[in-house]
Amino acid sequence: MSDKRRIGVYTCHCGGNISDYVDVEQVRDAVKDDEEVIISKNVMFACSDATQQEMIEDIEREKLDGLVVASCSPTLHLQTFKAVAQRANLNPYQYTQVNLREQCSWTHRSNIEKATEKGVKLVKAGIARTRLTEPLTNIRIETKPKTLVIGAGVAGLRAALALADLGLAVFIVEKESEVGGWTRKWGKMFPNNRSGNDTIKYLLDQVKQRENITLFTDTELIEKGGNVGDFSIKIRMKEGETVSLDVGAIIVATGFDSYEPFDGEYGYGLSGVVTLPQFKEMVDKSNGSLNFNGHLIKNIAYIYCVGSRQSEDGDIENPNLYCSRYCCSAAVHTASCVAEVDSDINQYHLYRDMRTYGKYETLFKNAGEKKSLFIRFDDESLPEVEESNGALIVRVNDALDGGEEIEIGVDLIVLVTGMTPRENDNLTNVLKIPVGLDGFYNEIHPKLRPVETVVDGVFIAGVSQGPKTLAESVTSSLSAVSKSAALLMKGYVDLEPFIAEVNTDKCTWCGECEKSCPYGAVEKVICDTKEVAAIIPALCKGGGVCIPDCPENAIEIKGYTDQQIKSMIDVLAKEVA
Amino acid sequence: MSKVNPDFVVKISGFTEFNAFACMNCGSCTALCPMGIDLLPRRMFRHVMLGLEDKVLENTENVFSCLLCKMCEENCPKDVPIVENIKSIRWYINREIFKLGKG
Repeated sequence: MSDKRRIGVYTCHCGGNISDYVDVEQVRDAVKDDEEVIISKNVMFACSDATQQEMIEDIEREKLDGLVVASCSPTLHLQTFKAVAQRANLNPYQYTQVNLREQCSWTHRSNIEKATEKGVKLVKAGIARTRLTEPLTNIRIETKPKTLVIGAGVAGLRAALALADLGLAVFIVEKESEVGGWTRKWGKMFPNNRSGNDTIKYLLDQVKQRENITLFTDTELIEKGGNVGDFSIKIRMKEGETVSLDVGAIIVATGFDSYEPFDGEYGYGLSGVVTLPQFKEMVDKSNGSLNFNGHLIKNIAYIYCVGSRQSEDGDIENPNLYCSRYCCSAAVHTASCVAEVDSDINQYHLYRDMRTYGKYETLFKNAGEKKSLFIRFDDESLPEVEESNGALIVRVNDALDGGEEIEIGVDLIVLVTGMTPRENDNLTNVLKIPVGLDGFYNEIHPKLRPVETVVDGVFIAGVSQGPKTLAESVTSSLSAVSKSAALLMKGYVDLEPFIAEVNTDKCTWCGECEKSCPYGAVEKVICDTKEVAAIIPALCKGGGVCIPDCPENAIEIKGYTDQQIKSMIDVLAKEVA
Repeated sequence: MSKVNPDFVVKISGFTEFNAFACMNCGSCTALCPMGIDLLPRRMFRHVMLGLEDKVLENTENVFSCLLCKMCEENCPKDVPIVENIKSIRWYINREIFKLGKG
């Protein structure tokens, strides 16, 4: 840029948060005579409406083409001041935020002089970067009003219904030949005793009544191309036939696998030792009495936390460290169902911690009133299961009775097993969404962005994201619905322009950048006669991992160019005169 | 090692029904007991529910030290009928140890 820049610099007091420890007047004066700085001002609260208005007037009057606000963390107010720039018809990407609060005044309260010195450098670095900024425009993508839902369990079906009712077309892809997942297999479920099987029947019936939902069973997703708002996907049906679909968003609702205890884990493998899902099936199918191998059951022991909250120090390879959330409530609810079938059955619950959280506390209470006995054990002394003369015996130290060692003879042992992530490496590879330490799909933030993944337009719902109860699964699937619908119903998405850019003169296509990109945003194209790398704008996140891998130094990130960063380092490293 | 015996609770309920299954082991009863009986009522009830008969019979003195003042019962968050339960334990001890009302 040959013309001189016209930059406005605003140094904020933050009502004392900054000015108590950084001499903001000194900072203002230190930069006011810098080259290309037209305005240097102090403001009490840069974020106040009045100051924002003042900035807009300054920008318009002085025809500023660069803006620096030295205030708080960009996390808090970057968008605020970008909007100020936009309202003053200044390109928002010619704005730089300098973090004078979190990274200066709050951190150096003991040394005002040095804090001020650092403040001056930070602001000067911000100015240096602003000098080299160029106007950038957001990348706009037209979205397709269609959604793909992967998995037709309770989360997937419920998501499909909600999307359809919002007027979006939905494709549901289910790997198995029947819909419903685990819920289909279950009878009475907590908290309201509604049958899981009936719930699925109802949902499926509703799905069938909606013309804008297409359900594919025995089908798998095999390819995903395109980007947020405009994915092109390929699915393969049982007969090998493939179908191509265009969708704007993808909801992953692939559910869970039930934990399979290893041989000998609390006697698993012995006759009469069953998992919770197996036991649930027995209770659901019982008709007036509960039998095992032709014998009436009189005593049952439940062992909780099997496959959940495993010790890191034990012999178990890849232990499941997490709590599976649903098992305590499901087990005490099942115990109440057992008491309804045969109130004479003695039920012993051997638990580590009873986590029937929220309103599920009533399930715990109900079970207790129906003569379930709860016996707590410590992590250090786990129960032991033994078979002698065809009878099952559980030994445990009752922590609620001073660690008294007791022995219970039972007819059936129920291992209260948790949820494990669904084994689905193919799907994970096709979608390129990250898996967390626990093996479930990873959200961006568990509280702030719980259904979004790092791949824009791909959402996770239900238990694919982590253990949940039925109700929580549905809540999460509806959350994914509102996120996808908000994305698609607007008709377009704007993406930030901070993406990689290839200098085609320098590029020799060695493929290093393609290998390093975790988002698959690099493709090979022919430019004139030579093969070069090209960036797919909607997929690029501006992560920058390709840059150090490029042997020709041919890649830069827009808005974070080498020149800009270097100019900032130069200022920061320079001695203050 | 004590063997759990689910039939004991039935046996002890001959005079009045023993029921402490709602107990959540908070320990309010023990903390409030004016006699400072540490075994009563919480741990003693647990021995009954688990059917550890020896433990119950070993602690006769504890069971009869109780004043039946109901301080614990009034404050039990789970509304366990503590006094009724103690009565049934006494009834059982009277029968088994002191051979009262038998034969």
